[in-house]
Amino acid sequence: MTAFSQTAPVKRFSWRNLLMFLAVLGPGIITANVDNDAGGITTYSLAGARYGYSLLWLLIPTTVSLVVVQEMCARMGAVTGKGLSDLIRESFGLRTTFYIMIALFLTNLGNTISEFAGIAAGMEIFGVSKFISVPIAAVLVWLLIVKGSYRIVEKVFLVACVIYLAYPLAALTADVPWGEVARASVTPTFKADSGFLAMMIGLVGTTIAPWMQFYQQAAVVEKGITADKYGYTRLDVIVGCVFAVAVALFIVVACAASIFRQGLPVETAADAAMALRPLVGQYASALFAVGLINASLFAAGVLPLSTAYYICEAMGWELGIDKDFRKAPEFFWLFTISVVVGALTILVPDMPLLAVMYVSQVVNGVVLPFVLICMLLLINDKRLMGRYVNGPVFNAVAWVTVVVLIGLTGLMTVDTVWPGSIGRLLSVFVTA
Amino acid sequence: MSEMYVSAVLGRPVIDPSGATMGRLCDLRLAPGDVLPSVSGLYVRQGKAERYVPWRAVNLFTPVVVSASPDSAGPAEDVAEAGAIRLKRDVLDRQIVDVDGAKVVRVNDLKLRPVGSNLLVEAADVGLRGLVRRLGQLKFWDRLAKLFGPGLPSREIDWRFVAPLDKNADRLTLTVARERLTDMHPADIADILTQVPHKEVGTVIGSLDPETVGEAIGELDPELGGRMLSQLDSEKASDILEEMEPHEAADLLGDLPEEKARELLGLMDAEDAGMVQELLEHEEDTAGGLMNNLFASVPPAMTAEEAISYLRLVGAEVDNIYYVYVIRGDETPLGVVTLKRLLLSPPKTPVAEIMTVGLKAVSVDDNPDKVMEVIAKYNLLAVPVLDAVGHMAGIVPADDVLELYLPESITRKRFAAH
Repeated sequence: MTAFSQTAPVKRFSWRNLLMFLAVLGPGIITANVDNDAGGITTYSLAGARYGYSLLWLLIPTTVSLVVVQEMCARMGAVTGKGLSDLIRESFGLRTTFYIMIALFLTNLGNTISEFAGIAAGMEIFGVSKFISVPIAAVLVWLLIVKGSYRIVEKVFLVACVIYLAYPLAALTADVPWGEVARASVTPTFKADSGFLAMMIGLVGTTIAPWMQFYQQAAVVEKGITADKYGYTRLDVIVGCVFAVAVALFIVVACAASIFRQGLPVETAADAAMALRPLVGQYASALFAVGLINASLFAAGVLPLSTAYYICEAMGWELGIDKDFRKAPEFFWLFTISVVVGALTILVPDMPLLAVMYVSQVVNGVVLPFVLICMLLLINDKRLMGRYVNGPVFNAVAWVTVVVLIGLTGLMTVDTVWPGSIGRLLSVFVTA
Repeated sequence: MSEMYVSAVLGRPVIDPSGATMGRLCDLRLAPGDVLPSVSGLYVRQGKAERYVPWRAVNLFTPVVVSASPDSAGPAEDVAEAGAIRLKRDVLDRQIVDVDGAKVVRVNDLKLRPVGSNLLVEAADVGLRGLVRRLGQLKFWDRLAKLFGPGLPSREIDWRFVAPLDKNADRLTLTVARERLTDMHPADIADILTQVPHKEVGTVIGSLDPETVGEAIGELDPELGGRMLSQLDSEKASDILEEMEPHEAADLLGDLPEEKARELLGLMDAEDAGMVQELLEHEEDTAGGLMNNLFASVPPAMTAEEAISYLRLVGAEVDNIYYVYVIRGDETPLGVVTLKRLLLSPPKTPVAEIMTVGLKAVSVDDNPDKVMEVIAKYNLLAVPVLDAVGHMAGIVPADDVLELYLPESITRKRFAAH
C-alpha cells in the first residue's frame, strides 16, 4: 500500500466501476465480434454447406490479411488521433472522399439490408411474418440508438455473442473427420466457376468488411489510445481477429459436417440451422434463430450509425446522437434513411433473404480493395505517420490482398457476363 | 479582378510571358499578414517536378490563366520547407473552429480577395455551396435547388473568426479569434473539445486560460475530461484542476489511474488539493460523492449586515450563495438563512433570530434517491450533507443531483463509435 492510498482511496468501488471494467474490452475484440453478423453467419454457413471443407484453406491467408489490415487502422488511429474518413478527406481532398463515401454508403446500406434480412429470417423460424418483425425491429433499432444508450446496448450484445460458442460445440459433437479438416485447411483448392469465385470474394469480404476499418480506427481514437500505449492495442487486435476467424472456421466445419455431407439444399435460414442439430437436436432452429436475431439487431443499429458518423466526419457536418434533427440534420437523416431503406427492401414480397445476405458480403469484397489502397497510401505517408509507417512485410501482405481481391472480382465479373468462360480458359491451360 | 475561390484556380495552367506553359498550379503558400493571411508564392507542378514561384513574380492571377515570369522560379525543395504553410496541404479540407458559431467545421473552399498587389485569404467556405463547387457541380445543383427555393445555401466564415486546429497553420490566426474563443460559454468550449481530435486538444487548451478550461472540462463527462487532462503535461493539468470546483475536480481524478491522480494532486496548491482529497474519500454514488464542500456558513452571533458582507467576500468562490448555513463553533449546523431573508431583515439582527431551524439534511452515506427526495419534497436549491457525528460536510446543489435523473441523451456525450 502506498502512503497516498492510505490517506485517500482514489479507487472507489461502485457499479459504475464495474461498467468501466467492461468498457476496457478492447476495440479489436469488439470489432471482430460485430464482424460475425447476419451476413457473416450466412456466408460461412453457405460456404460449408455448398463446398464442404474445400474453402477452409482460404481462412488462414484471410486471417493474416485481417490482422494486417486491422492493425494498420489501429496504428493510424493511435498515431494520428483521427478517424479513417478524417484522414482520407485531409489527404486526398474532397472529390476522392466524396466518391468513396458514396461507395461506402451503398455498401453499408447493402449490409444493413442484410441485417434486416437476418432479423426476418430468424423470426420466420419462430413463425413470425417479416411484415410484422421487420417494421418492429426497424422502429426498435431507431429508438434504441436515438433515445437509448449505445454503450449499454453494446454490452448486452457482447454478452449475447456467447451463443456463437454453440458452433465449436456443435462441430465437436458432430462426427467430424478432423484429419481431413486439417488437410483442407492447408491445401488450396480452386474451382473455376463464378459461384465458387463469388463465394471466395464473399468469404474474404465478410471477414474483412470495409466498414470494419472505419469502425476499428474510430474505436481506437475514441478510447484515446496514443502511440506510446499502442502495444496493448496491437495484442487486442490480433486476439480479436483470431477469435473471429476461429468462430468462422467452426461454422464452416459444422455446416460441412452436417448439411454438406447429407447433400441437403440450403434455401432458408431454417435449412442453415441444421448444422446445430448434432448439438441440440430439435432446438437447433431456435438456437440458430436467437443467435442470428441478436447479431442482426445489433448490427442493424451499428452499421447505419457508423455510416452516418463517418460520412459526417468526412464532410464536416455536425454529428452526434446527443444532437437532434434540427442541429445535425445530415447525421440524423443519413441514419434514418439507412434504417428505413434497409427495412423496406426486405418487405418487398418474395425477397430471397439468404441470397440478400450473401450478395451484400460479395459487394463488401468488391469495395474493400479501394479502401485498402487509400489506407496503404495513408499509412506510408511519413508526414502523417512519422516512424510508424508500414514495414515491408505489412505492405506486401496488404498489397497482395488488394491484388488478389481485384483479380477475383475481375474473374467473377467476366464469368458472370460470359458464363463458363473462365472454366474453358483454365482447361486450355491445363491441356496445353 | 475581384474575389475568387481557391477551387477555381488550383489545377489551372501557369504560363510564362511568352505563352509557354510552366505547369499547373498545385498549391499556394501563405504568410501571416497584418489583418488577413496573404499568398506569398505559388507551387507549380510539371510532371513530377514542383517549382516555387514567389508572389512578386506573378503577373496575372485569374481563374482562367496564371502568368508568371520564370526567372525567379526555383525548385520547391530549395524554399525552406520548415514552417511553410501551404493552403491546399495545410488548410483546405482541414478542421477549423468556427469561433462565431462555436463549432468545429471542415474547410470546403477558401475565398481569396486581391487588395492592392496582395492576395488575401478572406473567408473559409464551410457550406454546401463550397462542397458542390469543389466537386465541379455547382451550376447543376444550384439550378436544381433554385427550382424548389432560394438555391444552395452558402456558409462562409470570415477568416478573422477562424481558429485552425493545425499547430502549423495556427500562426495564420489573429488575436481576434483567440479572444473570441475565450469569450465563448464554457459549455460551448466543452462541445468543441469533444469534437477535436485528441492530438489537437492541447492546441485549443493552450490558447485558453486555465480558468476557462477548468469550467469547460467541468461540463464534460468526467471520464472524457480525465482523458483530456492526462494528455496535457502534468503542470498544466494541475493548474486547470486548481481552477475547477473541488467536486468536479474530485470526479475527474476519481476516473484517472491512481498514480496519475496522485501526481496531479501533489502538484496542486495544498489548500485546493486538501479540499479535493476530502471529497475523494466518499463513494461516488452517495450524497458524499455528489457533494460540494464549498458553501457559505456563518456563526449564530453574526448580524444580517455582517453576513451580507461575508457573502460579498466569499461569493466568488462559493457556488450557492442563496443559502447561508448557521453553524456552531463545533461545526454542528443550527439552521439556514436565505439570501432573501438576509436582505429583507433589519441589518443589526443576529442570524440566529431569523434562521429557519429544523434543517432538512442528508447523511454522507445516503444514496442519490434519498437526496433527490429531500430536495423535491422541501423545494430546496441545495441540501446540506452531515457526516457520522452530525457535522456539516458539504452541500449537494439541486442541479447536480438532477443531472443524474435526466435521460442520458441530454448529458454531454459524444457518440462512441465502438
